[in-house]
Amino acid sequence: MPVFQIDGEPVEYEPGEKVLSAALRSGKMIPHYCYHPGMSVVATCRMCLVDVIDMGNGRPAPKLQTACSMDATEGMKVETLNQKVEEGRKLVNEFLLVNHPLDCPICDQSGECTLQDYAFEYGSGKSEMDYSKRVNGWRDIGTFVALERNRCIQCSRCDRFTREITGTNEFGMFNRGHELTVDTYADRPMTNKFQGNMADICPVGAITEKEFRFKRRVWKLKKNHSICTGCSTGCNITIEHDRNEVFRLKPVENQNVNKWWLCDEGRLTYRLMNERKMRIHQPLGRVDGSLAGISWEEAYSAIAERVSELAPEPQAVLALTDTQASNEELFLLQKLLKDVFAADNVFCPLPKWEQSESDFFINTLITSDKTPNRAGALALQIQGDEKNERLTKTIENDLKVVFVLGNPFAADLDVQQKIKQAQLVVHLGVFYNAWSEIADVVLPGQYYSEKVGTYTNKQQRVQSTEIAVQPLRRTRPEWQILAELSQRLGQKNSFENVPQVFTAIAGETAAFSGLNFEKIAGLGIELTKKIKDNGKKIVSVQT
Amino acid sequence: MLEETLVLFKNIRNPEYDKSLAGYKKSGGFKSLKKVFGMKPEDVVQEVKESGIRGRGGAGFPTGLKWSFMAKDTGKPSYLVANADESEPGTCKDRELMLKDPHLFLEGLMIGSYAIGCHHAYVYVRGEYFPSIKTLNSAVDELYADGLLGPNPLGSGFQLDITIHTGAGAYICGEESALLDSLEGKRGHPRVKPPFPAVSGFNACPTSVNNVETLACMPFILSDGGAEAFKSFGPQNNSGTHLVSLSGHVNRPGVYELRMDVNMKDIIYDIGGGIRNGKKLKGVIPGGSSSPVMTADEVDVLYNFDDLAKKGTMMGSAAMMVFDEDTDVVKLLHRITRFYAHESCGQCTPCREGTHWSRQIVRDFLSGNGSDEKLKLLNRVGGNMMGTTLCALGDAAAMPIQSFVKKFPDEFRKYYAIA
Ligand SMILES: Cc1cc2nc3c(=O)[nH]c(=O)nc-3n(C[C@H](O)[C@H](O)[C@H](O)COP(=O)(O)O)c2cc1C
Ligand code: SF4
Ligand code: SF4
Ligand code: SF4
Ligand code: FES
Repeated sequence: MPVFQIDGEPVEYEPGEKVLSAALRSGKMIPHYCYHPGMSVVATCRMCLVDVIDMGNGRPAPKLQTACSMDATEGMKVETLNQKVEEGRKLVNEFLLVNHPLDCPICDQSGECTLQDYAFEYGSGKSEMDYSKRVNGWRDIGTFVALERNRCIQCSRCDRFTREITGTNEFGMFNRGHELTVDTYADRPMTNKFQGNMADICPVGAITEKEFRFKRRVWKLKKNHSICTGCSTGCNITIEHDRNEVFRLKPVENQNVNKWWLCDEGRLTYRLMNERKMRIHQPLGRVDGSLAGISWEEAYSAIAERVSELAPEPQAVLALTDTQASNEELFLLQKLLKDVFAADNVFCPLPKWEQSESDFFINTLITSDKTPNRAGALALQIQGDEKNERLTKTIENDLKVVFVLGNPFAADLDVQQKIKQAQLVVHLGVFYNAWSEIADVVLPGQYYSEKVGTYTNKQQRVQSTEIAVQPLRRTRPEWQILAELSQRLGQKNSFENVPQVFTAIAGETAAFSGLNFEKIAGLGIELTKKIKDNGKKIVSVQT
Repeated sequence: MLEETLVLFKNIRNPEYDKSLAGYKKSGGFKSLKKVFGMKPEDVVQEVKESGIRGRGGAGFPTGLKWSFMAKDTGKPSYLVANADESEPGTCKDRELMLKDPHLFLEGLMIGSYAIGCHHAYVYVRGEYFPSIKTLNSAVDELYADGLLGPNPLGSGFQLDITIHTGAGAYICGEESALLDSLEGKRGHPRVKPPFPAVSGFNACPTSVNNVETLACMPFILSDGGAEAFKSFGPQNNSGTHLVSLSGHVNRPGVYELRMDVNMKDIIYDIGGGIRNGKKLKGVIPGGSSSPVMTADEVDVLYNFDDLAKKGTMMGSAAMMVFDEDTDVVKLLHRITRFYAHESCGQCTPCREGTHWSRQIVRDFLSGNGSDEKLKLLNRVGGNMMGTTLCALGDAAAMPIQSFVKKFPDEFRKYYAIA
């Protein structure tokens, strides 16, 4: 790659690339507001000024240049720290503040506001403006975001977003000169499904997420890398939380998955992370027909006792799971049946699902498969088919022992009726559901914000989650429950953490061979041998 | 009295002139077009280069050079767009041409189209110019009826259509890239350059935007010996006659066609008939409201691009606004700052905030709240817009501010010295 210099250090660039883009990619910070790598360059905020002391031909540029719109060229020398640049930035920041309300104390952006940060870093700290400031007022612009126009710095990122990213053209700039402002067209609220991103890309507190407004100061939030489990796309996110309460999910850039974006529906899944009423809080056992709280020890010994009494044939053992479960959980469930019962009856629902195709990338994020790990189930060869035909045949057998993980076949009452007749039904799950109702033993699992796991998304990319918040006190992660169960049922295994389980998956299955947990932890890795998914249907979506 | 040199106004100054197509033809119209159809387009561009003509829209960029920059073999159509948005305060020359001799301009547009291989030319007319719009539309109708526009004008085999497009009355839509956005049906916001219109202009195709007067010079330049003659009308690098919009406190305001080697003093005192009511001259805004102001002592200079540049100002669109000793310079500046605050498109920070802020400061002087600090601040705010914006409107707003403060400081002090 060709090279130019920023502050004396060599920086590589791709032919045709702009100075700012190359600088940011190489980790060199040049302050900017309007530039966004995913959208067109407008060069209007004028914050990214740099001094080009040599344009590559030995001559300096006549005046400060905006780095976002300046082509990098071989031999070019750029300075970003000299006095001229500092003065340029100072005056741009002064202009931005003359009409800015500076209501940071009641502004949700405060603490992650680019204007605030740059004002501290590059501003002069005083103002010579002594006229009343421009007032534009608050606007209700959509279900998901609020607009406080007084704080707008007219960077037009939001405008470009509905034009270039969603293609919905719902939002634009109005009026001109110092009255230039942003709003929706014809006073209609926006309907695009990606509004939260406008709050992310707005550099100031003009567009904020309604869901988060006034809930918590951002500097109190701790952030953990994770995956959105709202659908099979697996957008990369941070879970942002304080005092064990999750406040919001924010996208993390991953060019191979979600680029910079996240859909609103996915953002709302944070609510489930704080859900307590529906949770299973402790192990439950059926005593005289109704479920009662028991200890983990009691639960495990009850299961072990019943299993040895029943001594089931392989065909009398069944496991059902949904595709919310992680790769490790699916693997250990399979292993439990194989090792303890020499059985391989593990089923999951595999209905048809739709993948959208669109001129606008962001539309392809949302899929109709609302589970994060269908591809993982396929890769691990969990059984199942579109119409559950094999499962229906299998449950004709006299069932003795059934394990249910999560909430599979939730709408299939026939299956539930049949399973109810089994001698021992064990439900492992996070939320109390119909399976808990018919189970003999219920084992409380943990939500994905509380545990480590890997998931295989629709592109068959394996990605992992971190522990973000403390789990409920008497729950255990499902992988651990499954490992402990198999020990109690006579198997020797020593899985102490998820990476160990993952190593076993990589060693024992063809699909995952060659992968390693550490490498997945960043931005994920795709399976080398692609699994065929017959349930996938492509549909075309226009904005 | 100094005589006008009649090239563009040859017909207009003839009281008998009939501006219809028949009248234009009778006065020798379309001879140049006919000649041009027999030439290679590159040779037409070469002739234009040789004439030395510089754009009359304000920037004074050599037209031949601009046309030679047009991207070739792109597989996309090329466009010629005539800039008839004429909104620079003081400028009213394009209107004369469009109203009184539309076919001269249209012939120029056709010659330009042929030179750059454009088959669909646009005229972007200022929204408020209703009579010009009407005249242009009927002139274009006449050309179609006559076969001069359409598939095969004058048997040349060259296809050309012309569309008259009206703006909605924004000064910024005279800036060429904002004009193209507006022409595409978007908000008129100047674009980032590069790419320049010659590479990616109207609908992302190679485009040349040229001022009406620039194009109206083409029939003369492309006539026999025209380029040479054109060059002889002014000093080197400042060729041709040009239209000067003379306004303000002179006895005979108007649009005059002059060579480029005429002294400004003579334009005011001879052509303009001197300052009205026998008053003394205080100053001149030499080239539209954007150009730095000149005091009465500075007007002994040749009125052309280079000589004015040497004096630290500019000829711009050649709109001279003359003001006498009774003029309140602070009020004048207030009017100018109001204009730029109103016309800034607002997308870039220094211009959006600076035009408004500077207007507020000047108004403060008028309401008696001036001070030495305010004067310094005004100068600083102006300076901070200079050279820091996306398009030239920022500079255009800054230049009057800085020059007024520099050249008439006492006028500002008068407003607060008493207190
Ligand atoms: C703010 C602004 C307003 C302008 N307005 C006009 C205008 O009204 N008419 C015009 O011909 N050029 C105007 N221009 C200049 C055009 O951008 C462009 O340079 C010109 O049309 C090119 O034509 P020329 O080469 O024939 O001069 C303006 C430029 C700026 C920056
Ligand atoms: S947008 Fe930023 S600078 Fe403005 S009030 Fe909010 S935190 Fe403060
Ligand atoms: S609302 Fe935010 S993103 Fe939109 S223009 Fe204003 S500052 Fe930029
Ligand atoms: S300088 Fe002014 S008119 Fe030009 S782009 Fe910037 S804000 Fe718009
Ligand atoms: S980031 Fe370059 S001008 Fe805004």
